[in-house]
Amino acid sequence: MNQKGGTSSAGNGGSKSSSSAANRNSKKPKYSRFTQQELPACKPILTPGWVISAFIAVGVVFIPVGLASLSASERVVEIAYRYDRTCVPPDYRKNLVAYIQSTETNKTCLLNLTVPKQMKHPVYIYYHLDNFYQNHRRYVKSRSDKQLRSREYERDTSSCAPEATLGNAPIVPCGLVAWSLFNDTYQFSVNDKSLKVSKKDIAWKSDQKRKFGSDVYPKNFQIGGLIGGAKLNSSIPLSEQVDLIVWMRTAALPTFRKLFGKIEVDLEANQTISVVIQNNYNTYSFGGKKKLVLSTTSWTGGKNDFLGIAYLTVGGLCLFLAISFILVYVFKPRPLGDPSYLSWNRNSAVQMN
Amino acid sequence: MDLNNTGESSVHSDSIMHSSSRRSISSYHSRTSAANSVREVNFGDLGSRAQTYGSKSAESEGFGTSRKEINDEDARLIYINDPAKTNEKYEFSSNSIRTSKYSIITFVPRNLFEQFHRVAYIYFLAIAILNQLPQLAVFGRGASILPLAFVLFVSAIKDAYEDWRRHRSDKVENSRLASVLVNGQFQMKQWKHIQVGEIIKVTSNQTLPCDIVLLSTSDSTGVAYVQTINLDGESNLKSRYAKQETLSVNPEKENIGGTIKCEKPNRNIYGFQANMEVDGKKMSLGPSNIILRGCELKNTDWVIGVAVYTGRETKAMLNSSGSPSKRSRLETQMNREIILLSLFLVALCTIVSTLFGVWLARHKSELNTLPYYRKKTYADGHEEDYNYSGWALEIFFTFLMSVIVFQIMIPISLYISMEIVRVGQAYFMIRDPNMYAENSHSRFQCRALNINEDLGQIKYVFSDKTGTLTENKMEFKCASIYGVDYSNEAASEQAEQVGYSVQVDGQALRPKMKVKADPELQRMAESGKETHEGRQIHDFFLALAACNTIVPILMDSDEPTVRLIDYQGESPDEQALVYAAAAYGFMLIERTSGHIVIDVQGERQRFDVLGLHEFDSDRKRMSVILGCPDKSVKVFAKGADTAMFGVINKSLNLDVISATEAHLHKYSSLGLRTLVIGMRELNGAEFEQWQSSYEAASTALLGRAAKLRRVASNVEKNLSTLGASGIEDKLQEGVPETIESLRLAGIKVWVLTGDKQETAISIGYSSKLVTSEMTQIIINSSSKESCRRRLQEALDLSRNRTMGSSPIALIIDGTSLVYVLDSELEEELFLLASDCAVVLCCRVAPLQKAGIVALIKNRTDDMTLAIGDGANDVSMIQVADVGVGISGQEGRQAVMASDFAMGQFRFLAPLLFVHGHWNYQRMGYMILYNFYRNAVFVFLLFWYTLFTDYTLTTAITDWSSMLYSVIYSSLPTIVVGILDKDLSRTTLLKYPQLYGAGQREECYNPKLFWITMIDTLWQSIVLYFIPLAAYWKTIVDGSSLGDLWTLAVVILVNLHLAMDIIRWNWIIHAVIWGSIIATIICVIIIDAIPILPGYWAVFHVMSTGPFWLCLLAVPIAAMIPRFIVKVSTQYFCPGDIQIAREAEKFGSWNIQGGGGGIEMIPTSNFLQRQ
Repeated sequence: MNQKGGTSSAGNGGSKSSSSAANRNSKKPKYSRFTQQELPACKPILTPGWVISAFIAVGVVFIPVGLASLSASERVVEIAYRYDRTCVPPDYRKNLVAYIQSTETNKTCLLNLTVPKQMKHPVYIYYHLDNFYQNHRRYVKSRSDKQLRSREYERDTSSCAPEATLGNAPIVPCGLVAWSLFNDTYQFSVNDKSLKVSKKDIAWKSDQKRKFGSDVYPKNFQIGGLIGGAKLNSSIPLSEQVDLIVWMRTAALPTFRKLFGKIEVDLEANQTISVVIQNNYNTYSFGGKKKLVLSTTSWTGGKNDFLGIAYLTVGGLCLFLAISFILVYVFKPRPLGDPSYLSWNRNSAVQMN
Repeated sequence: MDLNNTGESSVHSDSIMHSSSRRSISSYHSRTSAANSVREVNFGDLGSRAQTYGSKSAESEGFGTSRKEINDEDARLIYINDPAKTNEKYEFSSNSIRTSKYSIITFVPRNLFEQFHRVAYIYFLAIAILNQLPQLAVFGRGASILPLAFVLFVSAIKDAYEDWRRHRSDKVENSRLASVLVNGQFQMKQWKHIQVGEIIKVTSNQTLPCDIVLLSTSDSTGVAYVQTINLDGESNLKSRYAKQETLSVNPEKENIGGTIKCEKPNRNIYGFQANMEVDGKKMSLGPSNIILRGCELKNTDWVIGVAVYTGRETKAMLNSSGSPSKRSRLETQMNREIILLSLFLVALCTIVSTLFGVWLARHKSELNTLPYYRKKTYADGHEEDYNYSGWALEIFFTFLMSVIVFQIMIPISLYISMEIVRVGQAYFMIRDPNMYAENSHSRFQCRALNINEDLGQIKYVFSDKTGTLTENKMEFKCASIYGVDYSNEAASEQAEQVGYSVQVDGQALRPKMKVKADPELQRMAESGKETHEGRQIHDFFLALAACNTIVPILMDSDEPTVRLIDYQGESPDEQALVYAAAAYGFMLIERTSGHIVIDVQGERQRFDVLGLHEFDSDRKRMSVILGCPDKSVKVFAKGADTAMFGVINKSLNLDVISATEAHLHKYSSLGLRTLVIGMRELNGAEFEQWQSSYEAASTALLGRAAKLRRVASNVEKNLSTLGASGIEDKLQEGVPETIESLRLAGIKVWVLTGDKQETAISIGYSSKLVTSEMTQIIINSSSKESCRRRLQEALDLSRNRTMGSSPIALIIDGTSLVYVLDSELEEELFLLASDCAVVLCCRVAPLQKAGIVALIKNRTDDMTLAIGDGANDVSMIQVADVGVGISGQEGRQAVMASDFAMGQFRFLAPLLFVHGHWNYQRMGYMILYNFYRNAVFVFLLFWYTLFTDYTLTTAITDWSSMLYSVIYSSLPTIVVGILDKDLSRTTLLKYPQLYGAGQREECYNPKLFWITMIDTLWQSIVLYFIPLAAYWKTIVDGSSLGDLWTLAVVILVNLHLAMDIIRWNWIIHAVIWGSIIATIICVIIIDAIPILPGYWAVFHVMSTGPFWLCLLAVPIAAMIPRFIVKVSTQYFCPGDIQIAREAEKFGSWNIQGGGGGIEMIPTSNFLQRQ
């Protein structure tokens, strides 16, 4: 008996049936490994061997890496000194904000730091701020990358409020980030011989080249009602204002360090370094901390034991797991693919009993 | 005898006389009573399903309405051959069809409108709009719109392409030519210009351009034969009639005028009501007077008709709607978890905004000068608040902003991914050659695209019998003639039968299909009418050849001297009988409306067909009044045994009757379909009386059908038995094996059939549904009380069974179901049925089928699947969770209503066990993974928010946040959702028990959800805090750390997916590693844009040691707990799937061990290629 092909819907009347008649014989799906979902495939199974080797492999990789990273961190010499409190004269200890806001007070502060171990050059000088939310939404948005980049966009300050314009004139660089530029300065001397602080390469090359324009000069900066931080020399283009460039790379976290400069000589152990700090930056109004940090560096960055410890923990755990799984497999073996474990076989086994 | 005995009629509305109940309902009925068919096959009208499943009066009240007055407001008035006047008052639609949805102008708005029907898109849009408000602008404007725009754009392109194709096919369709009467001459006209009221001429083998009412045909009696294959898929010929009054009209010579008043366009293809008035004569029109668009004219030289419905108002177009949309079980469960996720979202946002409020309160005095807050501004020379709207609003804004930032907690992309995955899965299902039916050339079809995964969780299968379990190819098997049983068992042993043929004009005529004939009977049939026995045999086969509506069609064959006769008819049973008669030398050669020509043993005889009483479901028989060559007038009748024994004169030949009854019992217990044939010779007076009343009835204007029925029952009485026939409805290939494996898989199979009890049980046996060790409970009660009693007894029986005793097979018939369904007995039937291994329902009406499915569906959470092939299965297919249509012989209605359509019942095994299992497993995993993937990202953002003074800064760039779920991690989950498979086809088919994983919801359940969420929390903590601690107190800037987190999270989620992938082929390798590489490239591109703050950050951070240490430590530390849990579960409490995977890999499938006695099933049928 003649039969009907199949797919044409009632809707399209005759036109479809003629075509379906034509390819009636070719309707059978062609066999291919793809349409049959039989592409060559590897089907890994977590056999005991694989599991144990995986754990051992992780352990074997992680423990040496952890040790290496710990020792690297160990070799880093770091001097950190919190000066925001000690640099305030005792009379003002009760009224920190008034002290820092006053133009009358003497902001110069002297300290002596002792080098605990030899520090090979370059020794990096950081300022460390605490509880300063450079990642605050209002703050990170308050900048104009276009304006920083080229003179044409000088008036592109729409995103910069509340530090966008002065009267009608645009502020360059505009925005809260630039406005709050850190303005403490440090001078170092060892044995009354001043140490040169190099500012070379403290900012990213890429920023200097393409993000901060060489034809953009500071304008109307820091002359409004509220002074937020450092002033800029308006005769130097932004691409050379390395402290600004460093500051404008807003920190990821509320506790952060920024590069102040580098000392290009070795510091010997037990040397005493005298530091003259101009304590200008106001962290007092929000309870922020300021620290001066001198540190060498290693391939893992600064002094931070966390990664080393984490690696050792994970590696150790994996070795422990490897051993426990070996014990499990030895004392409680289960043959793989044993049909008697299938639920329907188990049930019938129960019934037999 | 009261033939209007309605109590029986509806219950037995399925008949055994004709191939199938569906056919009898769909076409036979409709000819006798339009109102009936409206009621029964109103399959298009999904909304009005206020059914009472046990309804008793569905049938009878429709009669007598065959000429119902049509209200003016419900009617359309057509002036024949006057399209201008016809269209004057109302503009009827033109005959051009438009399956396309859009034009160039309307595309954008309409397409957008349709796309935004999805809740997901509205959520997307709302978030994007929120983000445009300046106070809330968390992301850049471009970045927030982009993903939505991307998705909309891609969908729009897809829609545009599809629509362009529809435009093209519409154009082809609309510009086809038809012959239309213009100014008294037939001219060719494009289809789209045809108007209502025009007179159209269609010649043989042409397709009808619109719905026309027949005026005249080339046949002198006004018969026209049409093939409706495009409409309902039925390939046999159907006859349509022109009215006697208009037969002589020749519109080219004389001007014809008149009106037709017909009902408004509707989608019922088996119903039509109209009145026609031509030259002052009024007549009523029914469904047999109209030919629908899409039909093909066959076997008739030409027809002339009036266009009544055109274009989109044709019945074919009104019926071309999609299948109803269902939502999958998995998706429903997923939505439950999505509500939980949105609670998480609200919780996170509340935490953030509360903490922000606390911070605001504590720092109230500092806000004005705080360098990173600076509430005060002096920009315009005076002091004012900058971007500050009071603490309450600030907190509120923070809340909204956190909703924007954490938006992907609700995995909107999941909905889109799921759609893509389902399309991919459907692609593989359609392309599966193991589900291709060779004999009908039909592929598997996915009609509903959103319930693929339901196929993996089925617990109940409700199957139709005829055409589903059986082939619906009828074969004449045996006959009982005058009390003698001629079972041609001997014949089956003979090798090849040469078909009977006759010589005409030097050409041999041969039936198209050969029938195995009993040589003994053949010899006796040849021997002629000399003996009494011979006469009975002669009459018996004459009845088979004459008492039907079969149309013989001559076809050329390969050999020039041989022509084949193809018997076309609406009922396969009749075809089988006519082929059988031909094999025994009674070959029907010609049929016109007035006479038939039968070649009796080489001698051509012409019989006048004086009258034909067609089958109807009340009488359950048909009869024909023949004027024989010897001038005698005989009534031949055939019908169901119950219907026939009522009208057979019991006083004659009691032995014969009882012998026939015994044979009938034997036949039906063999699974054969039986018909009883009777005959009576009319004497002159009787004939006169019948003729006058017949003519009166057939020209009656009112209640014609009922009158004809009365005439029929008056003549169909006092018949003498000629005998009975047994027709085999062959089981489809692989049915017993499939049923066996369905049972092994824990699926309950219920068979719902219109056949009678004995036939149903015997099919049950032959399909291995019922086995001899089962206890049978049979409920066939005729009153509610006895029904209740039987149920109670059966319940007691099933409760008192001890462990290990034989399983129960419940057999219940339609009459009992009338009392059970929609009554308080339902509950008891449910309890009983859920205890039974097998349930067979026989003699059930279509709505009862739906009622039985609903019985299970409403009382349990189990997934139900209904499979059927005919119009009477439509309701059950629509009620069940998954409806499967068999695209077989019985038309396309079941297919049109179904979610999946396939060629044969046995494909159920690969469909459920292989594709269903895979789909479920893939989709379940995909949902969990998507929850995890999005939540881990949200948690990452959340942790960072706690370190930004709750101000929702993101270290990860806007673009990366937006691309995360679009590019960075979307493709792998989609590809894995389409391609990954836990077990091979071979294993799944070999061990149907593995299907239990889906039934037990092993791949997706609340427990897994919570485990996933805890895992997510841990992973996000590792992901966030390892880089945080490594970079604490360093010079790292936000962008660099953000890039680290971006890369880490993408690597983590992709490795997480990689860990769970079961089969790695090159595509999966490509997308997993490709996604990671694509992410790196994207991050690099984003960081190469100088005006973004993060310029060059990724290169700087890559040059630091901790970056690489973090990138290595994060994925490993994050995944260790998951890995341990995974390994331990697999080792200590392995699931069936796990064991099977191991066995597959290590090839240890020698499954004799364990409890022993594990039955294996023959598998060769399924494992063709492996």
